[in-house]
Amino acid sequence: MSQTRQYELVYIVSPDASEQAVADLHTQIEQIVQRFNGTLDKTENWGRRKLAYEIGHAREGTYVVETITGTGELMKEIDRRLRVTDTVIRHMTVRIDEDIRVAERLRTQRKSTQARRRTARGLPPEPQPSERRGDRDSDDADDMIMEGAEGR
Amino acid sequence: MSEERGGGGRGRGGKKDDKGKGEGRPRGGFFRRRRVCKFCADKIDYINYKDVRLLSPFIPERGKIQPRRISGTCAKHQRALQIAIARARQLALIPYVTD
Repeated sequence: MSQTRQYELVYIVSPDASEQAVADLHTQIEQIVQRFNGTLDKTENWGRRKLAYEIGHAREGTYVVETITGTGELMKEIDRRLRVTDTVIRHMTVRIDEDIRVAERLRTQRKSTQARRRTARGLPPEPQPSERRGDRDSDDADDMIMEGAEGR
Repeated sequence: MSEERGGGGRGRGGKKDDKGKGEGRPRGGFFRRRRVCKFCADKIDYINYKDVRLLSPFIPERGKIQPRRISGTCAKHQRALQIAIARARQLALIPYVTD
């Protein structure tokens, strides 16, 4: 009944926790994922990072990003566990499979439109490196003017 | 300088042209409105909330989200941007407020 989906889990570990504690937490999550027949696709440890604002009394924290494929029940359990874990000062789960699908569709759509237009103009479907338009520069210059005006 | 591509190019050379309706604010002539949506122009399909460098141009000092009329972002991408910024804020990647 429950569907398999892809999620992205980000959690921030308190700066007081040791490297070992972070590793332990990761293995704990791995175990939960296995127990629910999910898969842990990717783990990314950003290391210690300054927080934009204080959470509790912490000014920095260790960020860990995990990409998990599994059911909603799995994510619910992970959420529950992270909630009761004191070393985790903040966590968030985001469903990403839909977003990835949309992004992919847009990309293929754009590619096919480009190919169609280019063949209609009698050009090869793929743009050649030599015909790169040099319009980026003026755009960026515009950007800087704007930021300067805003930033004072 | 005189070479303006159709559609996109309203750059530095466009001082004398008076065809556009949205441009030419009454005051502060140096403030040039950015017409093109950054995400459309750069072909960014997914606005990633973890990418602070992507989001930061849309958050001026105060920490508020820059309105569409100033940033020039299209409606669709502004909506996606809102969500991305909300998520990034929750994760303390960008501030809710700064004074």
